[in-house]
Amino acid sequence: MNPVLTFIVVLIGLYGLATSKNIIKSVFCVTIIESGVILLFLNFANYEGGAIPIVSEDVAAIVDPLPHALMITTIVIGSAVTALALIICIKVFHHYGSTEWAQILRREDVK
Amino acid sequence: MNDLMWIDIIAYVLQFMLIAIAVVVVLQKNNSTIVLLVVAFSLVVSGLYVINHAPDVAIAEVAIGAAIIPLIYVISISRQREFIVLDRAMDDFIISNNDFTGIGYVLLKRFTDYYHLELNICNDPGLCSWEAGPDKVICEKTNVDLIVSRDEEKGVYQLKGKESSLLMTKLAQMAEDYDDIEVHTFTERGFGE
Repeated sequence: MNPVLTFIVVLIGLYGLATSKNIIKSVFCVTIIESGVILLFLNFANYEGGAIPIVSEDVAAIVDPLPHALMITTIVIGSAVTALALIICIKVFHHYGSTEWAQILRREDVK
Repeated sequence: MNDLMWIDIIAYVLQFMLIAIAVVVVLQKNNSTIVLLVVAFSLVVSGLYVINHAPDVAIAEVAIGAAIIPLIYVISISRQREFIVLDRAMDDFIISNNDFTGIGYVLLKRFTDYYHLELNICNDPGLCSWEAGPDKVICEKTNVDLIVSRDEEKGVYQLKGKESSLLMTKLAQMAEDYDDIEVHTFTERGFGE
């Protein structure tokens, strides 16, 4: 596992965020970026020959479990953020009749 | 040493699949397909978490990323197309001869087809009776998009919805052809009032 790979995943997510035409697809791209960040943190905690941080005989050999705890929090909060974004998306659809960025920004009352 | 090699091969395959699925998600245009791709993305990512010696994070990712988040997406994509109409007129304006053939239903159906919405007529007795309160209160408290009621003095049917919705402007245009239909809008309370 290479830190460069997580960077590539984050870049793909950013590209999708910049070019997506639909609000729902933008929310998907945020999920992809989040996965890349989580992989980066786990990669920093991991080292060659380390043991899984579940009760093991050789305590000195386990990988650091603190980033794992933080990343579980990130996953849970990410699901909450996704749900909130989709609720706002439904409200936007009922207000403007569309979830395409271009059609919403073309409205006169938005400017 | 042999075991380590197998793990390396699995890691390379999963990394390749991760990049491939991410690129396909960005290039895909159909939202329903993207939901399934995100499930696959979460499963591949959770495999990589296990390889990074983090099975606890992988459990959370499988439970939340591959099960709950797609569920939220499916619910929101299906609910997004819903246009809820509360029928308080309770006569043959919408339902005539026990079927959806009334003049109001034809108008609303034409309106919802224009925006590719799904028309959902609600005639719940608890909300439709006059004891439930005036139309404005119901419109603020529930998530109905439109209320149909009858003004006995003028003898016209009134379609009432929130002023902020731009869909109401279009509905007012379509209702101009009908003499006995009026479109009203409620001003919503702003913040700090």
